[in-house]
Amino acid sequence: MDAAARRADYADARLVRTRHERLATRNGALDGLDSLEAEGIGVRVRAGGSWGFAATAGTEKADAEEALERALAVAAAQPASPGTPLCPEPPARGEYESPAERDPFAVPLEDKLAVLAAADAGLRTEPGVVLTLARCEALRVEKLFASTEGALCLQRLTECGGGLTAVAVDGDESQTRSYPASHGGDVAQAGYEHFVSLDLAGQAPRVAEEAVALLSAPPCPPGRRTLVLAGEQLGLQIHESIGHAVELDRVLGREASYAGTSFVPAGGLGSLRVGSAQVNVTADATNAGGLGSFRWDDEGVEGRAVPILRSGVLAGFLSSRETAAEIGLERSGGCMRADGFARQPIVRMTNVNLDPGDAGTLEDLIAATDDGLLIETNRSWSIDDRRLNFQFEGEAAWEISGGERGRMLRNPSYAGMTPEFWASCDAVCSPSEWRLVSLLDCGKGEPGQVMRVSHGCAPARFRDVEVGVV
Amino acid sequence: MNPLELAERAAAVARGDALAHVSRERSLMLRFADGRPTQATSVDDVFVELAVARDGHVGRARTNETGTDALTACARRAETAADAAAAASRRGPHPGFGAIRAAPGAGGAAHAGLANGGQQGEGPGPAAGPASPTVDFVGPTPTNSTLGALDASAGGDALRTVFAVAQRHGLSAHGIWTSGVEERAVAVSGGGAVLDRTTDAFLKVILIAPSGRSGYASQTARSAAALEPERVTERAAAKAAAAGEPVELPPGEYTVVMEPQAVGWLVDLLGGTALNGLAHAEGRGALTGRLGEAVAAPSVNLADSPGAAATLPRAFDAEGVPKRPTALIQDGVARAVAHDLRSAALAGAESTGHAVAPGGDHWGPHPVNLVMAGGSAADLEELCAPVERGVYVTRLWYANVVRPKETMITAVTRDGTFLIEDGRVTRPLRDLRLTDSLLGILSRVSQLTAGQELTSEGEFYGRRFAYGVVSPGMRAAAVRFTGASG
Repeated sequence: MDAAARRADYADARLVRTRHERLATRNGALDGLDSLEAEGIGVRVRAGGSWGFAATAGTEKADAEEALERALAVAAAQPASPGTPLCPEPPARGEYESPAERDPFAVPLEDKLAVLAAADAGLRTEPGVVLTLARCEALRVEKLFASTEGALCLQRLTECGGGLTAVAVDGDESQTRSYPASHGGDVAQAGYEHFVSLDLAGQAPRVAEEAVALLSAPPCPPGRRTLVLAGEQLGLQIHESIGHAVELDRVLGREASYAGTSFVPAGGLGSLRVGSAQVNVTADATNAGGLGSFRWDDEGVEGRAVPILRSGVLAGFLSSRETAAEIGLERSGGCMRADGFARQPIVRMTNVNLDPGDAGTLEDLIAATDDGLLIETNRSWSIDDRRLNFQFEGEAAWEISGGERGRMLRNPSYAGMTPEFWASCDAVCSPSEWRLVSLLDCGKGEPGQVMRVSHGCAPARFRDVEVGVV
Repeated sequence: MNPLELAERAAAVARGDALAHVSRERSLMLRFADGRPTQATSVDDVFVELAVARDGHVGRARTNETGTDALTACARRAETAADAAAAASRRGPHPGFGAIRAAPGAGGAAHAGLANGGQQGEGPGPAAGPASPTVDFVGPTPTNSTLGALDASAGGDALRTVFAVAQRHGLSAHGIWTSGVEERAVAVSGGGAVLDRTTDAFLKVILIAPSGRSGYASQTARSAAALEPERVTERAAAKAAAAGEPVELPPGEYTVVMEPQAVGWLVDLLGGTALNGLAHAEGRGALTGRLGEAVAAPSVNLADSPGAAATLPRAFDAEGVPKRPTALIQDGVARAVAHDLRSAALAGAESTGHAVAPGGDHWGPHPVNLVMAGGSAADLEELCAPVERGVYVTRLWYANVVRPKETMITAVTRDGTFLIEDGRVTRPLRDLRLTDSLLGILSRVSQLTAGQELTSEGEFYGRRFAYGVVSPGMRAAAVRFTGASG
């Protein structure tokens, strides 16, 4: 940092060590057993208003110095640009380690494979199932961050989880069921105990049965219906239509090249209505177990809770030191995250959560619904580059009739426009139903970065939604 | 560092049937938004992936440390994984890596590879030309001067040109310029090592008018020197500056004229779904039981042509299997799907050289040199000429598969969607959501442009792996749109 301070207005460096293990079985055989160990340094500089970033696999002083040279060179090669001041931030100092009761990397491979083999066998109990998948993964990231402002902090984050999938086929019809979720299962910032708690083997027969039952289930009829969303499907709805829409780099047009912009204007704070009075959303980097949790973000800002929507009205953004300064905020929201050492930090979601309401349990909500559909697990998702027009499809839906959960339907798609959809939310379940769901594959940035996030939510009800659109 | 030597060194420390896959990336990327640079990234990284096969199971371990101790530790992790899997379950489907086979026409089994500079004889049509695009190329590591690929000042100059053209039109400029050198080496314990050296470059320009209208143009090339920032920016400007208030089109079925960029996206999606040999072998593919049947219009010819002049060529896949031209859809008839070693073993077929990862990727093999043959229309205007009322699509966004067996997808149009009236583009349209079957759309193709473009999205998640689709412009009838976007 001493060398960088002499030649840049600002610089930071991250030394990142990553250990990632992914095991999966497929139709009873090993699908893959991947073990990654990587380390390197990413150096970010700001010189003359331009940013430069360089990554190197080496971790010696000479490697860091060489990366600094490349970062300075690439910053200097760009057309001159006026730089926005960075929001002030006290230098991050200290160490942090996320809680994990049982180190997942200390558990023998044989033990993990035994759990997966039992789960996979449980999925292969139903004729008609052509593909079974059971997976377990563990991730550990150690990040040492230093800046020319005097920051020096170390954090060690551990994640673990897994899931199941069964695909059934009959002629031209194919149906999928997953547990606990479709996007890689359920992963938490925790130890091996989280994977064990999923009880994959216990759930497998039900998952397979439902996949086969879907083949002959009635299709979701088109029309406008009341929709109860829960679990992963609600988490993804929050992610795509609220989380991305309030990323301040998108709002300011910085991501127009790739991910797109946003329907949310920077000037909408305190006035823009995005949802009904039931809708309160908070971005919280301090949730225990959340994949968007950390002590400091990747530019050294302490993780915290930031209000995003209050009674449906825009209350905040996901921001960085630069973007926050650009719209006159006093402090960054602490949302800069990078995918490993070879990517620079960009504005990312922390845990963007729908705060619980007072509608009781899921069963209470169903009992209070005369006619509708319940969707929990996602199969397909798409949203436009301003985060307005979306179309999702769940793996399965359950009819709600007269306050009771009824038959299962296949191909339950629904579509809408973000503000109208969230304005139709008239109930959110109580704190007892609130839990984090994980998404492991959020893509953004150029070069591309994949980020892992969680969304806390309790089941919620939406009125007059267009369903059966595909 | 020589990636080939590194791969051979890594394969030598593994016990049993093993494969080492080394990828080295050196790349630059400059991003810009609102007419100024925003991010600049320089990457210099190497990864060693060791795959060990035991009783049909493959354990993999990766590291970016290249010392002997680190390679040995990596090999032990891969062996432990493979041994544990072999002990825990019945025999797996992978046939093992064996020895690297010589590519037909290559100088020898031991060293064969491909450089971007190598001119291949294979034509742009499906499965045309010689059997393999290989040339001997094992030399010193390319340097900036010999490949001209990693010059940040070239990127800076490109950005200045883009900004100047955008300013001339009163538009704000967003996009990326990127250039990279990739070296990929594969060595197997059974004998043989191969090396691919490739360069690539990509320029994307999105211009936004004060009204909010946006226009897109991009160029994918083998080297930064081939990029034409002025021409690309002018193309984007013509769309962003188009006159008229956007019209909203009601949901329904419309005749569509798609630029090569949009066609390329659809075809690439087809590559990951219907043409995926693993899905096919597992009985859940869209072409399962349909090879030999007509699945598209007779004018549709699609091949994976790894040495075609317009592509970003590759000689070998991640399992060291030589790539060769593969006819996938010929005259509208489904002919083949893409295989890696695992999917081929499951299907009772041979690998077509489309492994994404040694041992087989979770998602299956993927064709990365797709070429769709052109038709007879002189240009996009000629495609529009017979259309009374239709939709002109520049590009698609957030395409996702809804039901893979039906090749049903959904996507939204973006950065240049127009109404076609009485044979010509007349007014901007509000963006639309397309929800239709890929094979359904291809079965309703009525004309293609004679010329093709190398199209790409320039997405580099994880390791840089530049690839694109060579596509013509396309006109298709009765494409289904399910709503208007914001």
